[in-house]
Amino acid sequence: MPKVPRWLRRAFSSAVLLTFLAIGLGLIVGTFVVIITTTPVLDAWRGLFHSWGGPGHALKTTFDYVGAAYRDMFTGAIIDPNSLWHSISTGQGWTSTLTPLSETLTYATPLTIASIGVGITFQTGLFNIGANGQAIIGGIAGVAVGSSLHLPTVFLVPLTLLAGVLGGVITGALPGLLKSFTGAHEVIVTLMFNYVANLILIFALLSTPLQQPGQGNDISRNLLPGALLSPLFGTSSGLRVNWGVFIAAGVVILAWWFLERSSLGFEFRVSGANPHAARVSGINPRKITILAFLISGGLAGLAGITEVAGTTHFIDGGFLVGSAGIGFTAITVSLLGRNRPVGIMWGALLFAALGVGGRSMQASTGIPLDLATIIQYSIVLFIATPVMVQEIFRIRTRSTTELQLASQGWNT
Amino acid sequence: MTTVASTRPFALRRRLRLGRDQVIGTLTVLLGLFMMWAFAIGSSSRSKSQLTFDPVNTSGTLPWHVANLTLPTRLTCLVVALAAMGIGAEILIRRPKRAIMVRFGGAAGLFFIAILLWAARTHGPSQVDFVNLTSVLVGGIAPAVVLTYGSLSGVLCERSGVVNIAIEGQFLGGAFLGSLIDSMTHNFYLATLGGVAIGGLLGLVLAFFALRYQSDQIIVGVVLASLVISLGSYLNLQILTPYPQYNAGSPAPNLTIPLLAKIPVLGPVLFNENGFFYLVVALVLIISFGLFRTRWGLRVRAVGEHPRAAASVGINVIRTRYFNVIIGGMVAGVGGVALFAWQGQFQPGITSGYGYIALAGLIFGRWRPSGVVVASLLFGMSVYLANNLQTYQIPVSTSILLMFPYVVTIFIVSGLIGRVRAPAADGLPYKRD
Repeated sequence: MPKVPRWLRRAFSSAVLLTFLAIGLGLIVGTFVVIITTTPVLDAWRGLFHSWGGPGHALKTTFDYVGAAYRDMFTGAIIDPNSLWHSISTGQGWTSTLTPLSETLTYATPLTIASIGVGITFQTGLFNIGANGQAIIGGIAGVAVGSSLHLPTVFLVPLTLLAGVLGGVITGALPGLLKSFTGAHEVIVTLMFNYVANLILIFALLSTPLQQPGQGNDISRNLLPGALLSPLFGTSSGLRVNWGVFIAAGVVILAWWFLERSSLGFEFRVSGANPHAARVSGINPRKITILAFLISGGLAGLAGITEVAGTTHFIDGGFLVGSAGIGFTAITVSLLGRNRPVGIMWGALLFAALGVGGRSMQASTGIPLDLATIIQYSIVLFIATPVMVQEIFRIRTRSTTELQLASQGWNT
Repeated sequence: MTTVASTRPFALRRRLRLGRDQVIGTLTVLLGLFMMWAFAIGSSSRSKSQLTFDPVNTSGTLPWHVANLTLPTRLTCLVVALAAMGIGAEILIRRPKRAIMVRFGGAAGLFFIAILLWAARTHGPSQVDFVNLTSVLVGGIAPAVVLTYGSLSGVLCERSGVVNIAIEGQFLGGAFLGSLIDSMTHNFYLATLGGVAIGGLLGLVLAFFALRYQSDQIIVGVVLASLVISLGSYLNLQILTPYPQYNAGSPAPNLTIPLLAKIPVLGPVLFNENGFFYLVVALVLIISFGLFRTRWGLRVRAVGEHPRAAASVGINVIRTRYFNVIIGGMVAGVGGVALFAWQGQFQPGITSGYGYIALAGLIFGRWRPSGVVVASLLFGMSVYLANNLQTYQIPVSTSILLMFPYVVTIFIVSGLIGRVRAPAADGLPYKRD
């Protein structure tokens, strides 16, 4: 019997395989949504009941539309083979060839940071649904500093980022403090803070000096040039991927070290895995709750200001609202990455690709961007129910991959 | 050594419990002080506020007329603020064991009254110098009805031990399908049936994931709600934007109960509402009776508190939970139709967190239908005030006003320290041995 390499066995053992299967199932769900909501496809199937059509025609139309949707998603998010071949053979047009990849990285940067924040609370047995609100407040605080202090870049960029972190820390601290001192359940408190943060954003943009001078709309002042995270390949390259990528990479490494190697991180994980054991062994649950929310909020705030400083350079009323709400995507990314920093990084890249590709798909096929969100949430639904994926594919795993319960009802 | 170890937690808990009374008492006193500073001292001594009672938008002659009540603003606000401070002082001095939150709710109600009187003062920033009590109550009941549906759904699910955080999604599903059906048929009975169907379906999905696969109920609920919200936004762009005739519904008509509707103030508030109001009143009574007076209710509560014990006496835990979560989903689906019937048109952001506020109402109402009604009225009133205080041109930004319901929710959830206890098995997966 040939010896199967260890990495291959591990890859197909449990968690990773299940994750890939969940992604596949999510794409299948997306396919069904496209089929039942796209008029030409429906018409083709309706044609089966008349004489002129035929199953072949209907199937072909379906494949055409679904294929086009997913092809556009891929070429819009990663790379267009035709364009790549053109660039290689002629040496020109590299900007448009690399733009999809650059966009995906740009998108993944704040998403990774925010998702790691959410993942840390998950690992502690807490559920921070408020990352979006924390990121919004972080963005506001960062813009307040980065658009008003005239300092050299060396000082201004760190100060702007720090302001963002502080904004997130303050917003994140409140649910943590309320949870540990009054027992208010963090799910409800953080959810409510999201709505409050949205309204604070509108207030800040309309009624404070943050509003762009001479503007009546909800739009902020621009960050000073010295506060920006500049593009990696220079402004002239036309690629938006920026130095924030390194911030995200640093956060991944630090978070990995913190959770896997530091003693405080160990206390976090013990509190999440078995709160009773944690308390008995002398870990102060109150301290852990507050610290977890502080760190999580700080990372969410950092994500918010990274988005502003790296990509948008100002904020408006649509900042992180609706399908742009990275704080909500962060929850799903964190689950996808099983709350571990490195896994989260891959999850964020995948979801960023889905988002960027979805936008390109919307532009060329007219299928709304929300399809990408539907696929994302479906993937996570399957991730959260590993038993179902195992049943669908008739897999038996030796090590059952149990997803840790995020929070068990209202009594905890 | 052992005695120290065993007494310490008790001492700590006692200290904390005393602290909570003091916190809420102090908060109430501070609220009263704020009212005195902002509303009593903040208005001139010559200002007057009017309370009117006749419905505003009634055409033709009224069968009755209640005289307007003109009050001196400063004095009235002073009295109201003192009353609120009195409540706070009573909590601080007497340290009542029960009903602290009821007292706090009373103080919050006084705050509503003071803010309305202050907003309607003469020579204020607004042209409006009266408060129409009837329309305030009617306006507050519309969101309260929606929230009650959501909270009742939560009662049904959580009493059986399943956390239904997907209420927001069930609201949206009900609102979408209700709007679609109403636009096509102009029939609210069919729209309600649509809400029942979609809510029940979403409840079934939640129950399926929670019971068949024992997944984390909070995660599945949040993901399900987000999925439905994305789907709503997707379908809005795919169907409702190109075919606006499918989003041409209208608010539900009022069903006037003869004779009773002619009672001053109470008539328009309680007997001239749309069908969803009467339905929710019936549901509150039915669920209340069902949960606490019937064999079914006893079984449901047993399953929610101790599923193993329930199973050992022959109750089918899984089937009970399936039944309750599906029925709960149906109730929330109807709530979604009620939401649409109140707003009159579907839009993707129509739910704006009401599903989650309903969840907070469920906790505040201690998982009881009667408590849920009180909580929903409180939240409904704050939603109404947030949306309508602008007409009085209060010198506060609209966005700050709109925060009101959410901040109230946070306060209330935080104020319930250790006071409420969810069903013991709420949110825990149940595994058959």
